[in-house]
Amino acid sequence: MAGSKHPHSDDETAAPPISLFIPMFETFRRELDEHHDRRERIVKAARDITALSKKMIFSLQRVRTLSHPLPPAVTKENHPWQSQIISLFASLTPDLQGLNVFRYQRNISGGIQEYIEAISFQHYLETQQLITFSEAQAKLPPGIKLTEDDYVLGLFDLVGELMRFAITSMATTGALPRGAPPEGGDDGEGREILTDLRSLRTCLESLYTTSRGTDFISLKRDVEKKMEVMRTCVEKVEIAVYGMIIRGGERPKGWVPDLGGG
Amino acid sequence: MASPIEFEQIQAKLDEDSQVREEIRNIVQTLERQARSTESILSRVHSIPQANLSETLNEVYGAISKQRETIAQLNELTSEHPYYKYNQMWSKRMETASFHLVLWGFLCSYAKGFNGPEGMLYPIEEIGRLLGIPVMLKETDAFHLTIEEYLLSLILLIDELARLAVNSVTLGDYQVPLQISQFVKDLHAGFQILNLKNDTLRRRSDSIKYSVKKIEDVVYDLSLRNLVPRATQEAAQAPPTEQGTMPD
Repeated sequence: MAGSKHPHSDDETAAPPISLFIPMFETFRRELDEHHDRRERIVKAARDITALSKKMIFSLQRVRTLSHPLPPAVTKENHPWQSQIISLFASLTPDLQGLNVFRYQRNISGGIQEYIEAISFQHYLETQQLITFSEAQAKLPPGIKLTEDDYVLGLFDLVGELMRFAITSMATTGALPRGAPPEGGDDGEGREILTDLRSLRTCLESLYTTSRGTDFISLKRDVEKKMEVMRTCVEKVEIAVYGMIIRGGERPKGWVPDLGGG
Repeated sequence: MASPIEFEQIQAKLDEDSQVREEIRNIVQTLERQARSTESILSRVHSIPQANLSETLNEVYGAISKQRETIAQLNELTSEHPYYKYNQMWSKRMETASFHLVLWGFLCSYAKGFNGPEGMLYPIEEIGRLLGIPVMLKETDAFHLTIEEYLLSLILLIDELARLAVNSVTLGDYQVPLQISQFVKDLHAGFQILNLKNDTLRRRSDSIKYSVKKIEDVVYDLSLRNLVPRATQEAAQAPPTEQGTMPD
C-alpha cells in the first residue's frame, strides 16, 4: 500500500466527524434510491412479462395440430400479448446496459424464462423443432441478453407444456400428436411428439451442471428442481400412450386423464 | 428434434463458465485465509490497552497488504467477464477487507503520532485507494468496491466497536467507550438517512441499534460510577435512556 501508515486527506483536518459522515451517506442514499427504483422497475416488468407469457401459453394450448401454421384465432389472440412483452423488454433496455446486465440478471430472469417457454412452445407447434439458442435470442429485443441458464431453464418448462399438449390431444382426438410426413416421402409418417419428448429429455439430462453447485445463484439448484418435474412429464405421456394402446377403443368418449401435478 | 449439437454448444458454454468459477473460487479461498489471519491479529485489540497498540496496528497493515495483493489477482482474472456475473462469489471478502481497513483506520486515529482527526472513518474512496480498486462504479463494467459492500463493512465495524467498548473497560481504558460512543452515534445517524429496502443491507443494519444500545449502556455504567475521565465527560452525550428494549 502506498502512502503513509496513518494517512489522512486534507479536508478531514478541519471539519468535525459528523459533517464528514452525513454528506457521504447522502451520496449513498442517492445511489441506493436509484438502484432500488431500477430494480423495482425490472421486477415489475418481469412479473408482467411472466403473466403475458402464461396467457400466450394458455392460448397455444388450444392448438391441436403439429408442424402447421397456428390457427388464425390463436395468432390473433397472441399477437397483442407478444407485442406487449416485446415493448416491456424494450422499456428495460436502458436499465439493463453495461454493468447492469448482470447486476439485475436474477430480477429479470424469471420473465425471460417464461417467455422462452412460450416462444419455444409456439416454435415447436409450428415447426416441430426445438428453438435454438440463437433463434431464441433473436426473439428478444436487441439489448436484452439471453443467458444459457435462462434458455435451458425455459426448455425444462417447455417439457411440461408439451406434456399437456400431448395428453389433451389424446383425450380429445384419441391420438398422439404427430408431425407432418417428411418431405418427398410417399407413405412416410411424421414424427410423434413422444419421440421428441424423449430426445429432449435425453439432451436435458446430459447437461452437466454440478460444478456450479456452491454458488449463491446456482444453475444446479434450479436444474435439480426442474429435472424431476421434467422426467415425470415425459413419463405421464408414456403412460398415457400405453393406456391408449392397451385400452384403445374401450375408452369412453370424453374421458379425460388427470393432468394434475405437472 | 432437439439437436445434440446445439446442446453440445450450450454445454461448452456452461463448462467455460464452470472453469472461470473454479479459478475464482481458488483465489477467493486464499483471500478468505488471509482475512482470517488479519482477523486474528485484529482480535488482539480487545486485550491490549490503546496506548500499546501501534505494533499490532502495523501487523494488521501488513496482513491487509496481503489481501490487497490477492484482490489484485482477482481483479485481473475477472476483468474479462461481466463484473456482476461473478461478484457474489467474492462480495463477502470485499466486505471483510473493507471492515479490516475501517477498523484499522479508526484505531490508528487514536495512536500516538497520528496527525489526523480522532475518530476517523475512512470514506469509501479511501478504502478503494488502499485496496487498489475503483469504487461505486455506475457505468464502467469493471472490478470495484460497491456501496453495499462498504456499508456492510461499516455494520461489521459497529458490531466490533460495541465489543471493544466493553473490553476496553475491562482493560481500564475508560475513555475508549466514549470515543466509540460518539463515532458510532454518528455512523448510526448516517444509516438512518438511508432508505433501505427489504434486502441484505436492511436485515444486517438491524443489528446497529443493538450495538448502539450496548455502547450506551457501557457509557452509562461508567458515568454512574464517576469513572468517565473529567475532560471527556462533557463531550460525551447525556446518559442514555432507560434500560430496556430499543424501538425497532
